[in-house]
Amino acid sequence: MSNITHLSGLALAEKIKAGAADAAQLFNTFRDKIKGKGKELNSFVEVYDTPVAAKGNSVLSGVPIAIKDNICIKGKRITCASKILNTHTAVYDATVIERLKNAGLRIIGTCNMDEFAFGSSTENSCYGRVKNPWDLTRIPGGSSGGSAAAVAARLVPFALGSDTGGSIRQPAALCGVVGMKPTYGRVSRFGLIAFGSSLDQIGPITTDMADCAQLLNILCGEDKHDSTCAAIAVPDFTQGLSELKPGVRIGIPKEYFAVGLNVEVKASIDEVLNVFKSKGAKIVEVTLPHTEYAVATYYIIGASEASSNLQRFDGVRYGLRVKGDNLIDTYAKTRGEGFGAEAKRRIFLGTYSLSSGYYDAYFVRALKVRRLIKEDFDKAFKTVDVILTPTSPTAAFKAGEKISDPLSMYLSDIYTISANLAGVPAVSIPCGFNKENLPIGFQLIGKAFDEMTLINLGFAYQNVTDFHQKMPKIAYE
Amino acid sequence: MNDYDIVIGLEVHCQLKTASKIFCGCSTAFENPANSNICPVCAGYPGVLPVFNAKALSLGVRTSLALNCKINEKIYFERKNYFYPDLPKNYQISQFKQPLGEKGFIELLSGRKIGITRVHLEEDAGKSIHKENYSLVDLNRTGTPLMEIVSEPDMVSPQEAYEYLTALKMLLRYIGVSDCDMEKGSLRCDANISLKKKGETKLGTKVELKNMNSFKGVRDGLNFEAFRQEKVLNSNEKIFQETRLWDDVGGKTVVMRTKEESHDYRYFPEPDLLDFSIPLSLIGQEKPKVGESPLKCRARFLSVYGLGEKDADTLVGEPAFAEFFEAACKYFNDPKKIAGWFLGPLLEQANTLTDKFDGIKITPENFAQVVKYFSEGKLNNLAAKKVLAFAAATNDSADKIIEREGLTQVSDESAIEALAKEAIAENVKVVEEYKGGKQQAIMFLVGQVMKKSKGKANPQMARGLLEEIINGGNK
Repeated sequence: MSNITHLSGLALAEKIKAGAADAAQLFNTFRDKIKGKGKELNSFVEVYDTPVAAKGNSVLSGVPIAIKDNICIKGKRITCASKILNTHTAVYDATVIERLKNAGLRIIGTCNMDEFAFGSSTENSCYGRVKNPWDLTRIPGGSSGGSAAAVAARLVPFALGSDTGGSIRQPAALCGVVGMKPTYGRVSRFGLIAFGSSLDQIGPITTDMADCAQLLNILCGEDKHDSTCAAIAVPDFTQGLSELKPGVRIGIPKEYFAVGLNVEVKASIDEVLNVFKSKGAKIVEVTLPHTEYAVATYYIIGASEASSNLQRFDGVRYGLRVKGDNLIDTYAKTRGEGFGAEAKRRIFLGTYSLSSGYYDAYFVRALKVRRLIKEDFDKAFKTVDVILTPTSPTAAFKAGEKISDPLSMYLSDIYTISANLAGVPAVSIPCGFNKENLPIGFQLIGKAFDEMTLINLGFAYQNVTDFHQKMPKIAYE
Repeated sequence: MNDYDIVIGLEVHCQLKTASKIFCGCSTAFENPANSNICPVCAGYPGVLPVFNAKALSLGVRTSLALNCKINEKIYFERKNYFYPDLPKNYQISQFKQPLGEKGFIELLSGRKIGITRVHLEEDAGKSIHKENYSLVDLNRTGTPLMEIVSEPDMVSPQEAYEYLTALKMLLRYIGVSDCDMEKGSLRCDANISLKKKGETKLGTKVELKNMNSFKGVRDGLNFEAFRQEKVLNSNEKIFQETRLWDDVGGKTVVMRTKEESHDYRYFPEPDLLDFSIPLSLIGQEKPKVGESPLKCRARFLSVYGLGEKDADTLVGEPAFAEFFEAACKYFNDPKKIAGWFLGPLLEQANTLTDKFDGIKITPENFAQVVKYFSEGKLNNLAAKKVLAFAAATNDSADKIIEREGLTQVSDESAIEALAKEAIAENVKVVEEYKGGKQQAIMFLVGQVMKKSKGKANPQMARGLLEEIINGGNK
């Protein structure tokens, strides 16, 4: 019999239901795999000996799931991979955790990440870097690098990540798995430790589109604890798991295929287009003219919000406290020792952008550009149903390669950031490997609240390709 | 202050009367032990989000209407960022660029109108308790809804600032949005004061004044500050833009921080709350609750009902009082007696109850009947108070209580005469004192008659008969 950990979440749930697998045993199998060979990846912060108590039932009942370490699980340590929260235990359940419990999923542990989700390589963690399962010398992408690496190595069937500028999709692409950032307002943020409140969304990282749709069914929907979570009806996303909708129009934004795009990535995307063409999709060139400003806009808005969101980590009520000579000194020492370099960089950047005298030139200007970027999408979606782009300009790079060059690191999110600024849903799907056998992903960007089209296209694509079934060597060990 | 005009503007913060906090479900009743009335949201735990309390919005809209403000159609909250241990998120959710209401005014008793710059909503911080070597933080108050009301620099004297506060408090209590109790901290006031040379239009450098604990403290602090600034200017020195603290005990102001030390609050729109529009239906719903201004109501109580100023102020100061009083007048048209019995015996009753006036069960109609019976001589003072005591607790009709308790005043001359004779016979010594010229001695005898009648005798009649018998016996 083949390795049971290689099955999708849905396949496992069916086995449990059919009595062909025991949920408790399954949990132990995954747990031991994480603690065994999986350890090399450093993709987990905590692995639980027994699952967090689940109560309800769903199609995915009994299946283990891992959670990015910035989503609160009551009674469990939550750290955001930061020294400043190292000792903190969550006192309540995030809304998504409550929903997973009610759906009978078994939480197995928390995944490593860039500190407070600041990064694109999962090198900025107080627990050390996460390794890409396809090549341990390389980064898994970030900031949900732990979640993506764990799923790619089949240490867990699926995981939750969070995406502020590409933090689900970029690691999914670099690890060869599926990562969906739903529409802003689709999934409650209550209990997600905020990075950029107007950009953050929680989403699933899975091996295929069916698991992605099933998890969305559980996660999505309005929440009385989150005013920004929309009161919009949630469809049954599994309806998208069908043949390609006839006549679907796919937009190709020319700005995403300009300088900086790796030739092998480009070649893979061309192949994806061929697949969709052969299935009858119309490929249309579209323009998103403000794309070049997206990275700058994102780093101003994201850092500004983060600088304010991270103010609560002050050593007064929870987390690290380094005693100083007086109050200000205690603040300075606590935050000076508690935050890593990238967190400090973003706090400085955001504080500067919001300061009087700079506010209009930076923050207000960025808000205006953000609106233009959103209008670019509105215009494009008048002529197409979905937009297709590469997820990342390159495959996984070497650890340490960009850590001292923040600007080049920031550019690895160049294709993913716009979807957060516009608030629209986007998914990354595996679509090939480069010469070094490193995964490549493509991105589908949809209209607001139209995750269904993304699922439909992704499913149709995975029906005729097998990139999502390829596994790194470590998954077999 | 012959050479200078005083320019004063006030910033008032008052707690809104909502059952729960502004961004979470915690109760606003925080007399409990420290940090017992908090949840992850108001304690600023990682990952929490605020949800706006609709009641706070209603009260804010009502206040804006009562202060004749323009209500902004689109509202959003902003974050005011600063570090302090009793501010758990180290930012306060407030309103900055787009307040709920702006450009209004309030009329003072003097007839002067003071401009209202803005009315906005925000969350309160917690409380720091400083000990010798450490500080404690109580977050019970954190997240209580606050309304900030900023005036134009329209006040010309510390006395006028006092009158402004009095008028504002009367209004806010009258429309039921806040208790405005400065001692309990449900109203706080900061003042800005500057001097300018008479006849000049350019404003002088302003000083912000904090730490006043009463309206009187505001007036005293401003008086001190006006004279201090005059002295500085007269000696050709400069006023520094700074924040000063009023020291109530020392009777002086001291520097708290200079302009250079002032915060950069880095305001920006609160991304955790959506922008929202004030629905016209909400304005329509709140408008009737504003009704007549308390000043107009007060004027009416003086002119129409002929009340004295003190009685009118007390009645208008508590909307429920004014309402009850007017209702009672409809059933017995002797407003002065109604007011007297209301402010006296009825409120005395109310003060013995835990819920105070809210615990009073008697309806204005039954109350008016008691006052009417007293006026008609059907009940004497003591009996009327007794009836009120029962009625306050049950709202049984006066007739029912009188019958049940046998309280009808006895005005039957022969019955009282018999009791008077008894009293005289039993108190020969007192009668002698009275005859000897001690006029008050008669009251002791009246008291004896009342006692014998179990409080039912008409005391005037008793006194008349006693005098008649004693003096008659003397003839």
